[in-house]
Amino acid sequence: MPPPRTREGRGPRDRPPAPSQEEDPEKWDWNCPETRRLFEDAFFGDEDYIRQGSEECQKFWTFFERLQRFQNLKTTRKEEKDSRRPKHSIPALADLPRAYDPRYRINLSVLGPDTRRSRGLGRRLAPERVSEFRQALLHYLDFGQKQAFGRLAKLQRERMALPIAQYGDRILQTLKEHQVVVVAGDTGCGKSTQVPQYLLAAGFSHVACTQPRRIACISLAKRVGFESLSQYGSQVGYQIRFESTRSAATKIVFLTVGLLLRQIQREPRLPQYQVLIVDEVHERHLHNDFLLGILRRLLPQRPDLKVILMSATINISLFSSYFGSAPVVQVPGRLFPITVVYQPQEAEPTTSKSEKLDPRPFLRVLEAIDNKYPPEERGDLLVFLSGMAEISAVLEAAQTYASHTQRWAVLPLHSALSVADQDKVFDVAPPGVRKCILSTNIAETSVTIDGIRFVVDSGKVKEMSYDPQAKLQRLQEFWISQASAEQRKGRAGRTGPGVCFRLYAESDYDAFAPYPVPEIRRVALDALVLQMKGMSVGDPRTFPFIEPPPPTSLETAILYLRDQGALDSSEALTPIGSLLAQLPVDVVIGKMLILGSMFHLAEPVLTIAAALSVQSPFTRGAQSNPECVAARRPLESDQGDPFTLFNVFNTWVQVKSERSRNSRRWCRHRGIEEHRLYEMANLRRQFKELLEDHGLLARAQASKPGDSYSRLRQRRERQALYQLKRQHEEGQGRRRKVLRLQEDQDGCSSDEDRGGTASQGANDNVDIQDVKFKLRHNLEQLQAAASSAQALTRDQMALLKLVLGRGLYPQLAIPDPFNSGRKDSDQIFHTETKQGAVLHPTCIFANSPEVLHTQEQEARGSDGSRDDKDKMSSKHQLLTFVSLLETNKPYLVNCVRIPALQSLLLFSRSLDTNGDCCRLVADGWLELQLVDSESAVRLLAASLRLRAHWESALDQQLAHQARWRLEDKDDEETAPVNRKEVAALSRELLQFTASKVSYSLRRLTGLEIQNLYVGPQTITAAPSLPGLFGCSTPSPHPTKGGYAVTDFLTYSCLTSDADLYSDCLRTFWTCPHCDLHMPFTPLERIAHESTCPEAPQDGPPGAEEAAPEPLQKASALQRPYHCEACQKDFLFTPTEVLRHRRQHV
Amino acid sequence: MWGALGPVGDMPCLLTLQMECEAERRPLGVFECQLCALTAPYSYVGQQPPGTKSVVGLGHSAHWHHFLPCSLLEESYVMRDPFTPDKDRFLILGSRCSSCGRLVCVGPECSLFYSKRFCLPCVRENIDAFPQEIQQDLEKRKVPSKRPASQPGSRT
Repeated sequence: MPPPRTREGRGPRDRPPAPSQEEDPEKWDWNCPETRRLFEDAFFGDEDYIRQGSEECQKFWTFFERLQRFQNLKTTRKEEKDSRRPKHSIPALADLPRAYDPRYRINLSVLGPDTRRSRGLGRRLAPERVSEFRQALLHYLDFGQKQAFGRLAKLQRERMALPIAQYGDRILQTLKEHQVVVVAGDTGCGKSTQVPQYLLAAGFSHVACTQPRRIACISLAKRVGFESLSQYGSQVGYQIRFESTRSAATKIVFLTVGLLLRQIQREPRLPQYQVLIVDEVHERHLHNDFLLGILRRLLPQRPDLKVILMSATINISLFSSYFGSAPVVQVPGRLFPITVVYQPQEAEPTTSKSEKLDPRPFLRVLEAIDNKYPPEERGDLLVFLSGMAEISAVLEAAQTYASHTQRWAVLPLHSALSVADQDKVFDVAPPGVRKCILSTNIAETSVTIDGIRFVVDSGKVKEMSYDPQAKLQRLQEFWISQASAEQRKGRAGRTGPGVCFRLYAESDYDAFAPYPVPEIRRVALDALVLQMKGMSVGDPRTFPFIEPPPPTSLETAILYLRDQGALDSSEALTPIGSLLAQLPVDVVIGKMLILGSMFHLAEPVLTIAAALSVQSPFTRGAQSNPECVAARRPLESDQGDPFTLFNVFNTWVQVKSERSRNSRRWCRHRGIEEHRLYEMANLRRQFKELLEDHGLLARAQASKPGDSYSRLRQRRERQALYQLKRQHEEGQGRRRKVLRLQEDQDGCSSDEDRGGTASQGANDNVDIQDVKFKLRHNLEQLQAAASSAQALTRDQMALLKLVLGRGLYPQLAIPDPFNSGRKDSDQIFHTETKQGAVLHPTCIFANSPEVLHTQEQEARGSDGSRDDKDKMSSKHQLLTFVSLLETNKPYLVNCVRIPALQSLLLFSRSLDTNGDCCRLVADGWLELQLVDSESAVRLLAASLRLRAHWESALDQQLAHQARWRLEDKDDEETAPVNRKEVAALSRELLQFTASKVSYSLRRLTGLEIQNLYVGPQTITAAPSLPGLFGCSTPSPHPTKGGYAVTDFLTYSCLTSDADLYSDCLRTFWTCPHCDLHMPFTPLERIAHESTCPEAPQDGPPGAEEAAPEPLQKASALQRPYHCEACQKDFLFTPTEVLRHRRQHV
Repeated sequence: MWGALGPVGDMPCLLTLQMECEAERRPLGVFECQLCALTAPYSYVGQQPPGTKSVVGLGHSAHWHHFLPCSLLEESYVMRDPFTPDKDRFLILGSRCSSCGRLVCVGPECSLFYSKRFCLPCVRENIDAFPQEIQQDLEKRKVPSKRPASQPGSRT
């Protein structure tokens, strides 16, 4: 507590008229707990302002002691200082008290103690003591008033001193006259905090302010709430993916761009807002660019909607002219002069070709600063590096240097750090010590740190780029733009003159691009295109983007969405596509969620989907720590990484639910970043709500604990948690902590421990994350899900893999045939477009590659086999992966192994066969050779049936969903899809995946791919396979040759030697059911068998029998439909209605 | 009104309670100091701001409110203390100068209280009407107030 300022306590203690009947003044002891208790009983009751035993009560006594000490010093002074002034002529001044008393300077009066409670008080406490106490209380309250008013006044002064303060009226005036205003000002001018407040003060009450980052939404809402004096009110709120503080009373809401787009998707005219502030438009984020396009179209329809674009002073004319030369209010930044020092790095004899960054140039700057500037001259250093790996390289070296000199506190700053660790950069270094903050470009615009005097700019940035050809993401290092370089430099001049060391030459700078490449030009656009389709903004190719994306990226995205089944051939949303467009998740994840909920696997799929949507929880360093590796081992699943993550999450939830165990420690021992698990839990909950909202998952009824006792206990527990959270929040942000030097000498090995001790500080024993977690989630429910997950049967597991496989398709990789001869770490894989991809070191298949190697048990084809790639086996496996990321090498991220033949038969977008179906080519790049034609045809037929069955079940699911939405959700019709049917489908799928057929698997060479097909045939002998692959008569395929049986299966289009003779290989055969005796090819034979009218109804698994069933079920959903557009009547399912309607659009 | 809400026993009600209070405390207007132009929304004018009580020990059963048995010695413009989550704390913004009637904030640069509120211009004009302590105080205060205009006042 700050000491009371002397001014308040000025003057001698007043002993007003009452002559003191001094009874043993020596015996009186204010410090006696008993005495204090008496007064507290009298004054600080339960209903009083200050409560007994509260923090406030302690504060009061501390104040009281200080006041006493101060007054004892003063009492020696002369009491009487009579001044006989003449009575004043102004009435207000006439009756001023003659004798000065500090009490007269307080505009409050405190009443006596509660008489009801203090019956006995009069006897025990002398009146003058009571009066003394009251006086002290008065001073205490007055002090509190002065303090709070001081804060208020300071706040206003600071706001007035901001550069933008002079422009407030102009901005409001311009906004009155125009629909769009561009406010351009550099960071530090105060635009993000002040403009919303100007609007608030001008009476606007429906203001949305978008931010590119979630963190900014929270911190701005807090700051603006504080500055607008509604810190504890609800005028200012935020809304981000996981949380919202928005209420009916909220006047300004800070929200992410993504969230606003979702709102537009729901209500295209955005009726809920009067003013829209789009902040940081210059950053040119994908969503921001899209939002600008949407707004430009919306504005003519909403003439009452005002838009403020806020930008750094970068390329302002672009935004102004995009909105019909909107007026620009330019606010000068507040920058001190900055000296630029170019220090190009010589080509040094670096540590050969190791990928590690050479930290020496950075250390030289530290040394230079130490030599040139005395430590008393404060000022911290901010170093811009390209990425996390570079940060840790420099961190290590700089910490070593710092431990020698004791003059630096080195801190990393990047987005992967937890918020608490990020916050450490705002702490203060002890005297004589400078902070050295090693940051990614996060500190360029989004995080502003005060007190920076020196900047080191590496000139590099690592950015994700997307290669549409190879369909892979690349994290690549680039030179920054001139705009970024200036931005970085500017960070040195916010609090005083500064120095910027550029580790490149001036000529390099001149060669930099003027502006950074907008995101829309370097990322995959499939999510954007899907969203655009979902918002019906028309053809993405003609959408009026502020700067259009490269046409190839758009085409790739459209193709990808068609591949994924989200768009049909006319580029309209399919039923699954329109559902995916509503889910704010990756297409792949969305598919998994939908499929999972269909198979009643929602709980595990939710966890896996959440796990795959956050950064890996495994910490970098832990891989080299044998203890961590050993502790993690029991969590690993040899099915694949998503299952390992699944285990990690479930076990963590178990740990959390066991009261005595500390999940933070559990994570630390295993090298797991707990923060990521919290994110998973949040995401999981959000996914669950999404599925419930979309009718894909029955809403869980709140589990009610049986008896009133446990209800009471639960409520108590929650109240205790709330209490803890409140205490934590009140304790937060009081003061900047002072960094401890020794902390940083631990090196980065004990990164976690440091994070724990430094950020938690006094609250170390309270894990606030844990408290928040327990408040937000129903731990019992989670635990139930987690323990049921541990009891997943083999069948459920296999189904789960099918769901994942189908969701992730076509992201497949085939192991290199020579992998079994390679070292563990050298296993390589090939995708359709990328050869020689490797696994991430944390990947389970990098550590136990043998689970992928094919055992040669059924070596029937080994007679002529040249090498592994022709190996016959029934157990070939493929990897399906979540993403392909290229850094220095292409990496497969989050892999699952799946059975090759069965998966390809079930998922392939294109399946081509030869005449006897022994040779299959999936998606034009994977070749499967089966030993015997009969089993090949059986499998193929079974897969066709299963696919049709699965598709129809999915259609029903989507139809149910669509109906559920149309009918206002009151249709509480049990499960979306018939349980029995799904069970049957699951059973058959499992049987199918378990089928054992020997085959070989290989990737086709480029030359083979070129000569794959027989090509269009002039002579089209009608194929004699009626009924084999369904009822429709196959038509000749126009390009591949052969016959298109379904939209994915083309029969007999592969060139092969066998083709020439396939027609001749007929042998006589007698059907056991109808006694038909005829020469048959194997194919014809099976065709006959499957359609033979005499055949028993419960045929073998390969037989076509279950097919009519889904049809019947489907017809139950059909309803008469009259189309207005084509004036015809149909019998349609709801999905068919949607499909049909789309034809007319 | 302020404390008249009955006992609230359960968590969900906390929200409704909060909202009611929110609505009740809607600002009446914006207080602006006629000397330093400090502005802040006020929600009460008078001598018995919400959160205080003039009579002690009435034994309210209002669960969520804690009263200060005190009153103000001048007609003050008051807002809820924005710096504490406690909804019953108030902050006095200012009042009228009892001599010239100007609306002034309680900041030491603008006014002082000596049994009544006086704006500093009035105090300076009639400095001899005040006791010596006040005079000395004012002398001292002249030093910090000579700061550059952009940074008025001293740092707290």
